[in-house]
Amino acid sequence: MRPDRTELTKIILQTLQELGQDLEKPELQAADENTRLFGARCELDSINLVNFIADIEERISDEFNIHLILANQSAMSRSHSPFRRVSSCIDYVMELIAADSSTHE
Amino acid sequence: MNKIALITGTRKGIGRGIAEHLLAKDWIIAGCSRRQADIAHKNYHHFCLDVSSEKAAMRMVRTVKKELGPIYALINNAGTASMNHLLLTPTQTCHAIFNTNVMGGFIFMRECAKVMTRQKIGRIINISSVAHPLNLAGEAVYASSKAAVESLTRIAAKELGPHGITVNAIGPTPIDTDLIRTIPKETMDALIQRQAIPRIGKIQDVTNCIDFLLREESEFVSGQTLYLGGIS
Repeated sequence: MRPDRTELTKIILQTLQELGQDLEKPELQAADENTRLFGARCELDSINLVNFIADIEERISDEFNIHLILANQSAMSRSHSPFRRVSSCIDYVMELIAADSSTHE
Repeated sequence: MNKIALITGTRKGIGRGIAEHLLAKDWIIAGCSRRQADIAHKNYHHFCLDVSSEKAAMRMVRTVKKELGPIYALINNAGTASMNHLLLTPTQTCHAIFNTNVMGGFIFMRECAKVMTRQKIGRIINISSVAHPLNLAGEAVYASSKAAVESLTRIAAKELGPHGITVNAIGPTPIDTDLIRTIPKETMDALIQRQAIPRIGKIQDVTNCIDFLLREESEFVSGQTLYLGGIS
């Protein structure tokens, strides 16, 4: 079963908000689609971005049985990182889900 | 509570020996190999996969975490070798050795480290070989793949250390397993004579090092390759 954008947005925001609670960062606890993830003026350092990505992979795997690797070649070679904002991250994960062969099985 | 270890290449040889050793010490073992294994133990769970398949590795790690529990240790043992003069080594052999020994180890390290990072504790042990420090003629590709494993070990130790994960390697001498059965006796004897302690290795030599590295007291040991037989 493939999630729609609304379901995916909920998962990604929940993941980020929970990370915000762990890190005691109010800005992340109140995250929305415009929240910056990576780059200047963002709330996540590189280690926490890695944790965030791993958590999203795991949740998508657990809830939808879709096994994605978010840090793949296509993400790393883009001129604008898909992890710069929550909204671009959601768009990127939707793209990966659409392209993932396991979702067509 | 029983600790969980994921071990690659458990169907035979060193991997099987490590799995049986830890099962006897009440560990829960998730093992894998291309073919089915016949380890019959209530705490052993087998997955048939190619370690260089990213998707298969990822599925295994997530299934183990979900169905068995937190992964405390990863033992990257799956490996393949091929003795050949450089001029006679097919490119395909080179790809096959690097895919299993380096890519497989890398993928499992990355996926297990994602789980261990959230747990804030973990032990990763990669199996290298004395073929690398001894620069064995006829094993250029195999020895280079193990050099890559050791480099991955050292750098992963730096990157994962702040998350409570130690990463080490063990470099066994030749051990009587399928991996060395095709090597001529004279070649093997000459190799053993280069060791400070000139005898063929035993699986127990490896499991002794595994026990040391898995101990909670070994939390300050990371980025090391522990060679057996007095090789340095």
